[in-house]
Amino acid sequence: MKFLVVDDFSTMRRIIKNLLIDLGYQNVTEADDGQTALPMLQAGSFDFLITDWNMPGMPGLDLLKAVRADAKLAKMPVLMLTAEAKREQIIEAAQAGVNGYVIKPFTAVTLKEKIDKILEARAA
Amino acid sequence: MTPPSSNLQEQFGPIIAALAGALAAGDEQLFYRELDALVESRERNLFGELRKLTSDLQSALVRFSIDSRLVDLAEKEVPDARARLDHVLKMTDEAAHRTMDLVEQSGPLADRTAKQAAEIIESWKRFRARSIAVDEFRDMVVKMDSFLESAGEDMGKVRSNLAEVLMTQGYQDLSGQIIRGVMKLVGELETALVELVRLSKGGVRKSDVEAEKPSTSRGFGPVVPGVDHGPAVSGQQDVDSLLAGLGM
Repeated sequence: MKFLVVDDFSTMRRIIKNLLIDLGYQNVTEADDGQTALPMLQAGSFDFLITDWNMPGMPGLDLLKAVRADAKLAKMPVLMLTAEAKREQIIEAAQAGVNGYVIKPFTAVTLKEKIDKILEARAA
Repeated sequence: MTPPSSNLQEQFGPIIAALAGALAAGDEQLFYRELDALVESRERNLFGELRKLTSDLQSALVRFSIDSRLVDLAEKEVPDARARLDHVLKMTDEAAHRTMDLVEQSGPLADRTAKQAAEIIESWKRFRARSIAVDEFRDMVVKMDSFLESAGEDMGKVRSNLAEVLMTQGYQDLSGQIIRGVMKLVGELETALVELVRLSKGGVRKSDVEAEKPSTSRGFGPVVPGVDHGPAVSGQQDVDSLLAGLGM
């Protein structure tokens, strides 16, 4: 399973990458904002997208919308991992088609739970 | 009535005299020419005044927009920024202590494993060389039992501490987002002050001290206790129940 982790803070990308490796997902690629991530998603064969919201360039919500608007990527599982905690934002992300929403600071257990849940729903 | 000033005399005296002369002489053409000259000179003055008034008004409006932005910055956003930086300080302090706690917990566990291994290794070497005495062999087996058990347990604990050290570094992202917001505010404050200084020197230009409003699409950054307003979730459970309510 190939993951793309999008966050403008390299420390957070490292944390997520390490957690994914601990969970047994060895194939993890990083991008620092939506603008960089979108062409990578379009060119690569990613299976799962984990993205932050608040990033310079293209924010995560716009990346999510771009993914859902792209016929080739539309069905990709997207997990939002962000400090954005306003109710209206979570609702907006849900309406834009996010598959999971984890707020920072988060725990390894929460991340695992959400990824498992999304993958289970895919398999069903 | 006050007597006309010498300025007025100077400005209008000759025209009025010429007008009166033309009227008395019944010279209609001259009368109207002088009258047009009088009206034209009044209009010139009026436009001059109007121009000055417009410029003053524009300057006042720009100053007002800078002033009200500065008031807003000084009254609300600067104290908010202070609270945000305070929160960053608290977060970095907690993260540093948590990391050091975990390192301090892990050190003795690693030491114990190394010490126990060192105690066994010499007997183990003799055992491999088939030169170990029976008593020493018995002793080594007992030590080996205890070592295997405690090493497994201790290293499990060290591994979980390392994972937590990793998670603790998440503060850098959260505090970084808050600091970025404060840096933006300082930039805005600088622009407003520079504008104000320039304006007080007499220049008037369209002000660019408009505050860039945060939006849901751009994001607001992490919640800071006591600063953020508006409905926000209080934790992951809250997010989960909100999404469940939306059918997710």
